[in-house]
Amino acid sequence: MTAVVVAESLTKRFGSLLAVDDLSFTLVPGTITGFLGPNGAGKTTTLRMLLGLAEPTSGRALVLGKPYTQLEAPALRVGAVLEATDFHPGRSGRDHLCTLARAVSLPNSRADEVLKSVELQTAGRRRVKGYSLGMRQRLGLAGALLGDPELLILDEPANGLDPEGVRWLRDFLRAFASAGRTVLVSSHVLAEVAQTVNQVLIINHGRLVIESPLQELTRRIGGTVRVRTPRPDQLEQALAREQLEATRDDHTLIVRGAESDRVGDIAFAAGVPVHELVTEGSSLEEVFLELTSQGATAKPPTPTSERIA
Amino acid sequence: MISQINAELLKVRSTRTTLGLVCGMLVLTLLIVILSGLLTHESGLLSKRDQINLFATGGVSLIFAALAGVLLITSEYRYGTIRSTFLFTPSRSRVVQAKLAAGLITGVGFGVAAVGLSLGIGSIILSARGIPSSLDTGDVLLLLFGGVAGVSLRGAVGVGLGAILRNQVAAVITLLAWDFVINGLLFGLAPSVGRFMPTTAADALMGEKTDHLLAPAAGGAVLLAWTLVLAAAGVATTLRTDVA
Repeated sequence: MTAVVVAESLTKRFGSLLAVDDLSFTLVPGTITGFLGPNGAGKTTTLRMLLGLAEPTSGRALVLGKPYTQLEAPALRVGAVLEATDFHPGRSGRDHLCTLARAVSLPNSRADEVLKSVELQTAGRRRVKGYSLGMRQRLGLAGALLGDPELLILDEPANGLDPEGVRWLRDFLRAFASAGRTVLVSSHVLAEVAQTVNQVLIINHGRLVIESPLQELTRRIGGTVRVRTPRPDQLEQALAREQLEATRDDHTLIVRGAESDRVGDIAFAAGVPVHELVTEGSSLEEVFLELTSQGATAKPPTPTSERIA
Repeated sequence: MISQINAELLKVRSTRTTLGLVCGMLVLTLLIVILSGLLTHESGLLSKRDQINLFATGGVSLIFAALAGVLLITSEYRYGTIRSTFLFTPSRSRVVQAKLAAGLITGVGFGVAAVGLSLGIGSIILSARGIPSSLDTGDVLLLLFGGVAGVSLRGAVGVGLGAILRNQVAAVITLLAWDFVINGLLFGLAPSVGRFMPTTAADALMGEKTDHLLAPAAGGAVLLAWTLVLAAAGVATTLRTDVA
């Protein structure tokens, strides 16, 4: 399959801060990719480079086979929302869309169509000043949809949405991708996108931490087993003999990479009484935090990194 | 390019800012032309020079057109709409060119309204006071066309300035300081330099007869040069700056 988005050693340096560091990844058609990382990880900077708004210090980004700025009428193939607040407060939502439509010779009726598809048709003629954050998010999305794109790039689209709005967005993205179209959606909260995406790209401090299908990530992580025992030292040693790692919190051990049956058997064989034995599906959220905090200990975040987000 | 200019003109029309600028401009023009037309002693309105200066009151539209031009680009940076503008038209030089064109067209609108108003009201006041006109057709045509051309170019100069500075507050302050402080000081203290400033060049283009002003054609050429230089600098700046 031809790649929809290719990042090749993308690097962006702001003075002494390396915001994006040798980042490479590929998106294939029909996927919804969650682009994840804590605030300041370099997500927005990466998206800006993909979209030709910022020039990479080195490396390159290809969208539909070319740098974005060299595409013929890119807005008819790629839809993007970078900030939910990118509107003139005194302009109506519909006029905002019409200014964009005109730039690519689309009729005003197209603005009305996309307003309808994001359920803003009644508010369209009001000035954006009076819009809620959720309405602004949807207006931004409407702008991205104007050109009926095959690729949608959204930066933190769920920010400020109420639970109903998040569900609406999720259904919307699924429907969009089911037609073979591609979505790249960034978020600093994995839970927001975990139910929607089928692939994740996790970055931290500008570096790629993991690029993987969601299922594989979940499988690879596996679950953990929580054991409560009055003799944790003894159990820890027994587990270690079986090459199992456990993290300890007082009388509780969290065992990684083993089923509860096996942990129970090991405890029995070592003669360790067990007061509690629970299998815990390690949530993606924990994995996410773990993956992104590993980098954080290796390289503490700087105050300026927040600004780059 | 036509689509981009269309888009830019819709941006100008679709906020109340432009309406506010036009209203401010018309009220100010009206006020000045009525006050100076009614309060000036008859002896101060007889000569050709005095009459031209009365009719040229519409020149206050110069600053309003320049402001509209500045806002046309800086409000995009201020409100972040520049991002979607560049996403829809990735050729940044084309965006700035379309804005320059929109600035020129907006300036024509401002110029026609303000110069037309000062010429019309000024004539009514003169004839009501029984003061004969000392202008010939050439003077009137120069006022009209020179005035409108000057205001129009001033709109494009505003776009160029806005593209260079990007920050709205900085650009508006620079424009006001340039027009009201630097321009005035230079023209007062060193008219041989001051007459080459955009606003004084535009005054000359309207046929105003203040001492030291350039000839109309020279004024037009100077204003055109300013427009081209600022436009080129604006394009160059926009091309090499990342959009936050």
